[in-house]
Amino acid sequence: MILRRLRMPLIILILVYAVSVFGLAFMPGTLPDGTPARLGFFHAFYVVTYTATTIGFGEVPYPFTDAQRLWLTFTIYISVIGWAYTLASVFTLVNDVAFRGAVARSLFAWRVRGIVDPFVIICGYGQSGATLARALDRIGLRLVIVELRRERAAQIAIEDYRTPPLVLAADARLPDVLADAGIQKPECEGLIALTGDDSANQAIAIGGRTLAEELKVVARVKARVAQANLEAFGGMHVINPFETFATNMALGLDAPESLQLEEWLTASPGTPLPRKVEIPRGLWVLVGYGRFGQAISRVLDNAGIAWKAIDPLVSLEDLEDPEHLLGGDNTEVALREAGIAEAEVLVAGTDVDAINLGVTTLARRVNPDIFVVIRENQSADRVLIEAARARLRFVQSDLMVHECLQILKTPMLGRFVWRVRVEGRDFARQVIERVTDAVGSGAPRAWRFQCDVMQPGMFTAFFQKPGEPLQVRHLLANPVDPSSRLAAVALMCERRQESILLPPDDLPLKPGDQLLFVGREAARLLQQRYLTDPHSVEFALTGAEPPRSWVLRRLAERHRRRVAARAGDE
Amino acid sequence: MNLEKVVFAFVIILACTLNFGFFIGDMDEPLHHDPTELFLAIVVNLVATVLKFGDRTQLGATHLATSLVATAQLVAASGVWLWHVYLRGQPMDGAAMSVIVSIAGGALLANLVSVVLLIGETLRQGR
Repeated sequence: MILRRLRMPLIILILVYAVSVFGLAFMPGTLPDGTPARLGFFHAFYVVTYTATTIGFGEVPYPFTDAQRLWLTFTIYISVIGWAYTLASVFTLVNDVAFRGAVARSLFAWRVRGIVDPFVIICGYGQSGATLARALDRIGLRLVIVELRRERAAQIAIEDYRTPPLVLAADARLPDVLADAGIQKPECEGLIALTGDDSANQAIAIGGRTLAEELKVVARVKARVAQANLEAFGGMHVINPFETFATNMALGLDAPESLQLEEWLTASPGTPLPRKVEIPRGLWVLVGYGRFGQAISRVLDNAGIAWKAIDPLVSLEDLEDPEHLLGGDNTEVALREAGIAEAEVLVAGTDVDAINLGVTTLARRVNPDIFVVIRENQSADRVLIEAARARLRFVQSDLMVHECLQILKTPMLGRFVWRVRVEGRDFARQVIERVTDAVGSGAPRAWRFQCDVMQPGMFTAFFQKPGEPLQVRHLLANPVDPSSRLAAVALMCERRQESILLPPDDLPLKPGDQLLFVGREAARLLQQRYLTDPHSVEFALTGAEPPRSWVLRRLAERHRRRVAARAGDE
Repeated sequence: MNLEKVVFAFVIILACTLNFGFFIGDMDEPLHHDPTELFLAIVVNLVATVLKFGDRTQLGATHLATSLVATAQLVAASGVWLWHVYLRGQPMDGAAMSVIVSIAGGALLANLVSVVLLIGETLRQGR
């Protein structure tokens, strides 16, 4: 493209040189002694070269004749014009928006090709995108960000990241943009579609799924139709933040312990155990009956809880449901009419933070003990929303980070959390007790331990069998001192189709088993030794420090055989 | 009739004919090979090369390659000339001229390929 646009200036430059050199080579000239001599191509080219670039060494090799000077004057004019034209074309091209876009794009694609660490592609850098990007950056994943708005994309460069993300300002709906973002690289761990537009997220997710079939694809959609579409397409994680929050709330209504456990396990490590939130089942007043309010109202209908919703907009279209819906603004009159005085829960769920805060204040004036659920829209308003001291907060970006981290980092934890929901509140309480006993009340870190026989430690445990067969308790023993326990708990063991919840200490392990542990980071690091270090495994299984050198190993083996033979004799 | 096509074909064929004009004659006879013709051949070949820039098809790439070869060989031929006459300061003789002409002969072959490609392309389009 560059060359094609520079065709004309280059040809003109060549012609200017050709004419100048040709003319100068044949202009009549003389040697110092007066014999006529032409300059020849070589000298003519030399003179034109320094003249055209306005360097001007003078008349070389001999003083020129008038004819040569005349020609050289002509040469100076045409060559300066030729160069000016060429340079102007080059600069125009460099400043051309389309050209710069093309250069930025190929630079980006080139850099992405060079990534050797695991990375995640985020499409859309809004509030959720930015929060998620920072969270992923903290846990050490590289980021490739595709953002449509140029200014927004340019801003990422000046934000604070450990490893600066690779950014492209382009439309991620186009498959070749996704391809340039490295979606087909084996290092790519996931594609997250977080743009503000449902249909764009759908297009990105479907494009990603088609280009890379094994990739984890996460898409945020807000409309139920879009959600159903994507779920029908299959193979991707679809997060509808409103529905997710409503589902969590339903869980909180049914089994507060399960919600408590879930929030705790998926929080960032060290977060204190959240209080158990008992959500009242009395009358609910929803302020704002948009997608958020509607998602909550469906949960309430399922749970058989009475509710009223106020929204200035619904009055026109939804009058057929006078039992629940009130048109009206967010004044005290409207709140009283909805029954705020007797209500037990207020959901301040409009898409304006100031209104949510105002409604909360008004409601508290009438009913000081009301349970408040508040929605935060702009992260810039966080201080305002915190001032409301609500019992439950809906923050879309936090929720997205939670969900995405779970999907990307420990999918096993997601499966466990799902099982907890099925098992019910008593099981959740049991898990909380176990984990707090072993680890303390700060949120633990979750990790997966795979009994992978390609790892030297596991190879020893399963094929060389130095002592007892490997059991869960061995993985929980401190490799430095097997009599003490690591600060970790095994939550789940998956093998083939079955999964064992809270596997007991004496559960024998098989090759290929996957265990979900939660605990301190230090415990995780110590446990990793069982994968990499056969001696730690032997130590844990036999309780004795194994001999490390070949000679001593031989001696120990002979000794063991002799002891066995003697035992056989007796 | 498309003026761009006329110019394109004109330049390519002119590059070939100039090259041929320089090449023809006794190999070791300096009188048969005019430096002006070599100069013009180089210039026209350069223009032909630039005209072929930016065509992304397979045929375009081959076109560009032939021109690059021809230009490189002609420049090499003029380099030999330069070396012999100006840097070593010797008059042009049969030995040096036969080297120059044989290099220019290589360029002529590349230019012929270029012309064949041009004709082939024209015939293939059939209009």
